[in-house]
Amino acid sequence: MSPLNLAVDALLGVGVAAELLCVAGLLLMRSVYDRLHYAATATVLGPGAIGSAIVMRECVSPSGGVELTSGGLEALCGALLLFLLNPVLTHAIARAARLQERGTLEPRAGERRAG
Amino acid sequence: MNAYQYAATALLIGIAPCALVSLRARAVDGLVALTLAGTLATLALLCLAEGYHRGPYFAVALVCAVLTWIGGLVIARFLGNSS
Repeated sequence: MSPLNLAVDALLGVGVAAELLCVAGLLLMRSVYDRLHYAATATVLGPGAIGSAIVMRECVSPSGGVELTSGGLEALCGALLLFLLNPVLTHAIARAARLQERGTLEPRAGERRAG
Repeated sequence: MNAYQYAATALLIGIAPCALVSLRARAVDGLVALTLAGTLATLALLCLAEGYHRGPYFAVALVCAVLTWIGGLVIARFLGNSS
């Protein structure tokens, strides 16, 4: 097995393991905010590792040459979309959860505002 | 089967617990599970496109990523307004 194949397989393994850990976290946690934490984490390490594995397979030849292909670029875009867009979604869900629990976004008496 | 097909299979299996949480927990917890399922589906589609050497199918994963995001935002907005 070439070093390139080894690196690609290792990245795939890390990415899939990270995603399955996040699924386990979602299943085991009870609070919506804890679950949200795991769902948000799933858009960082997993897409990074799996996207890197696909880009390496698509763009790096066994001889070491690098050539950009449309498949590699699209895989990179997919991973970047997940990474860049999902914080907005995480914030929106946390806001909806807070509104459902408390009815307002304002802090209660004695509750400190973050930041 | 190659490594990408195994990876896609593992990722698709991961969607089952998300469906379980969506069915049994509160609506907002279900939305969290739905977003995680969308992430898993996007990555599985990327792996399948690579695993079967079908370059044009990478676009399906891109569309899935964007639609999951838009759908999640719409449902979050709805849940926030319905409280």
